[in-house]
Amino acid sequence: MRTENFIDDFIRDEKQTEPNPFLTTRIMAEVEKMQQTEIKIVPWWQIVVFVASIVAVVFLGITLGNSYINPISQEITMNINDNEIENFGYYSLNSHE
Amino acid sequence: MTEEQLIQEIVSGNTLAFKTLMEKYQERVFHVAMGFVHLKEDAEDLTQEVFIKVYQSLSTFNHDSEFSTWLYRITINTCINFVNRNRKKRVLQSIEDVWQSAFNQYDKEKTPLEKLITSERNLLIKKAIDSLSEKQRSAFILSKYEELPQKEIAAIMNTTEGAVEQLLQRAKNNLQKKLNRP
Repeated sequence: MRTENFIDDFIRDEKQTEPNPFLTTRIMAEVEKMQQTEIKIVPWWQIVVFVASIVAVVFLGITLGNSYINPISQEITMNINDNEIENFGYYSLNSHE
Repeated sequence: MTEEQLIQEIVSGNTLAFKTLMEKYQERVFHVAMGFVHLKEDAEDLTQEVFIKVYQSLSTFNHDSEFSTWLYRITINTCINFVNRNRKKRVLQSIEDVWQSAFNQYDKEKTPLEKLITSERNLLIKKAIDSLSEKQRSAFILSKYEELPQKEIAAIMNTTEGAVEQLLQRAKNNLQKKLNRP
């Protein structure tokens, strides 16, 4: 019987403990912080659309680049700069030897 | 505003409605948590954890049972998980508590020796409560700390009234055995 009274006293003491009056505010702040984080999280479909658009732009760039046809004819032409050719007359003149 | 309307408001994003609901049930959750952890700071952390869980899963509450029943279930599960997680830490904490409570008591009628005896007795009671099985402990706390009728405890624990009665009787016997040990 005495033990039971001790237990009851102990429980009565613990029940008298009051929570911090700012506990509600603390929890509300946590809930609001959680809500803001939820808003910041980008939905998965937005990520998919973003990645797909980058892939599409790269693919379009490559396709456009490949489809380019050079209008200049592909025949081989030779440009000779006469100034760079050694003058044969230089070798035929004996006075230079 | 009825409780059902309040819940609807919260689900539709009204945080003020959540504050109202929390103010209504905060003390009950806190007392149950105290029964499990016996420490104000831990009980406050648990109360916060419980209400965040409630906020996150309120949309899944299907009104099959009373809101309070659902809330008590979440509270008990959260408390049991917390206790299992912090088992080692709590042993050291309880020893520290004896000294703290013995010398921080403002009861001028008691001598230091009486204060120490009370603190040691309280530590033994805490240990005895903590050593009960999860089910016995849950039933005991809901019955003693919240003074809930057996019918409600049975609904919370998803069992029969008879089973709750048995759990309470066993809890009482186990506590007697542990505390009367020489």
